[in-house]
Amino acid sequence: MASISLSKSEKSYIQTSLTSTPPIRGDGRSLLDYRPIALEIGVVPLANGSVRLNIGKSTHEGAGGTEVLAAVKLEVEDVVNGDGVDGGRVVCSVSCSPAAYPHLSSNALDDLSYDMTTVLNQTLAHPSLRPSNLGILPKKKSWGLHLDLIVLADSGNVFDALFMAARAALWDTKVPVTRVVEYQAKKGGAVRQDDMDVEQESGLDTRQVSRAVDFELPDYWDEGETLAGQDRWPVCVTLNIVSPIYYLDATLQEEASTPLRLLLALSFPKTEAPTLKASRLLGPGEVELSQIKALVQDGEKHAGELFAALEAKLREEDVRRNQKARDRFILR
Amino acid sequence: MASRIEILNDGGFRSDGRKQYELRDISFDLSPQSSADGSASVSHGLTQVVVSVFGPREAKMRRETIHDRANINVEVNVAPFSAGERRRRGRGDKRILEFGSIIKSTFEPVIQTSLYPRSQIDIYVQILQQDGGVLQACVNATTLALASAGIPLLDFVCAVTGGVHSTSPLLDLTTLEENDVPHVTVAVMPRTGKVTLVTMETRLHVDRFEEIFRLACEAGKVLHKEMRAAVRERTGVLVAAIGAAPRGTSAGMDAGDRDVVMDERIDDY
Repeated sequence: MASISLSKSEKSYIQTSLTSTPPIRGDGRSLLDYRPIALEIGVVPLANGSVRLNIGKSTHEGAGGTEVLAAVKLEVEDVVNGDGVDGGRVVCSVSCSPAAYPHLSSNALDDLSYDMTTVLNQTLAHPSLRPSNLGILPKKKSWGLHLDLIVLADSGNVFDALFMAARAALWDTKVPVTRVVEYQAKKGGAVRQDDMDVEQESGLDTRQVSRAVDFELPDYWDEGETLAGQDRWPVCVTLNIVSPIYYLDATLQEEASTPLRLLLALSFPKTEAPTLKASRLLGPGEVELSQIKALVQDGEKHAGELFAALEAKLREEDVRRNQKARDRFILR
Repeated sequence: MASRIEILNDGGFRSDGRKQYELRDISFDLSPQSSADGSASVSHGLTQVVVSVFGPREAKMRRETIHDRANINVEVNVAPFSAGERRRRGRGDKRILEFGSIIKSTFEPVIQTSLYPRSQIDIYVQILQQDGGVLQACVNATTLALASAGIPLLDFVCAVTGGVHSTSPLLDLTTLEENDVPHVTVAVMPRTGKVTLVTMETRLHVDRFEEIFRLACEAGKVLHKEMRAAVRERTGVLVAAIGAAPRGTSAGMDAGDRDVVMDERIDDY
């Protein structure tokens, strides 16, 4: 998705400098360097988990960079009559702010949002990633997890930003603790069988239900347990391929002059080996089959580093927030 | 309809601890977002809105151009997680379109559109959090974004919501209060004292209207001071960045001083 228009000579200029030895990039990074990434969790007070993430914000002005806001909301869904799924479900949606793509018409913007939604939703809503603690009442009620992401600004590498923001928001999500409650009618008590007349013969008597099952929230609402399988949410690296080299974290100009991009979403569970959750080739270029294997292996290495860095930052943010909350509590 | 929460208690305090005429915490951020020509992020309490302005530029759709003035195009987006209950509103949602057209008609008399014939000014409003007074936040943010984009305005537009609880007027309502109390949103141009927007979706006794209206106009003037200070501060930062400001100019300096400093600089050239 070439979001800006570049002339042929500009494109070839960027490509040549990327493939030269040593490679040169506009902002002085090496091929495998990321721009600085900033993130803050818990930015949306009404959500169960939220994050604001920025890649490449300039330090002096506080401007620029790719900016994504992600928030998770949990809703109780009915499995029988509503659109809930037994054991819970995850739904992602991405919307792009027109301010991020000022040259696009609103239809084109919708298409773009839809493309991003598809990539995220297919990866994150996959049954293999479904957290185990989204069920409330078996076969009756469950949590529907809605992850909404907004692209506020795009200056390249938006998929990495989206996946990172999604992971951070899900990491931050707290599921309210629920307890199953059962109401039982007294035996031979209130319900008197002999009062019921003709309808009984239909065999469809709702009045005969002797127990009702519901749930209650024993906890204060915004506390709760973290989503199960926190470590399995994937991170994505985009390998921008300008044959024979590839590079990471492209800016808009670089993106526009790169013929092919390979998205790799990898998950790094604590106890198991890393797994590839999604891969996509974007762009009109082509790549030889033999290269793909090497690219995926390299991608795994880079994703692992990104994952470790993100994990460290998330833990730090968690400490900061909890610390803050505790301090505020003491002050009260 | 009796409410379970007390809108105004005997001590004269509201549900969030404010007095009747007290406004919520306001914060303005004029630092640039994305690639917009001008942008502003405004929050009134928990309500948060980001507005980006592009233009004047060539219209994306040629047929929207007007031969003697600029066309103003407003697009509003509401984050699905902004309110208590998750709700996704598409681009064609009637409520959103209405919101956009209210903002457009508020700013049409204020922007000097005749200076830019055959061009378009795009105003993109992103509502991030809603806790009452969304429209006032949108209007205030749009004013600041237009100002930071350098688009000539006749005056600031400052909007405040006012409501009335039995007979006592309230200002700057939260969602809790908006649900319970008839309210009006008023946008004033503080220097000229003109009003560009009065809108109400609830019923209000005609005798009460004048009082609230007058209060809201007064509150608009208070907001104007804050907004002007924000613009001044931003301008000061920009002036300092291009090295035109004399040494010792800092963001902490009060607005009146900097005004004088800038005048002097202009005289020097």
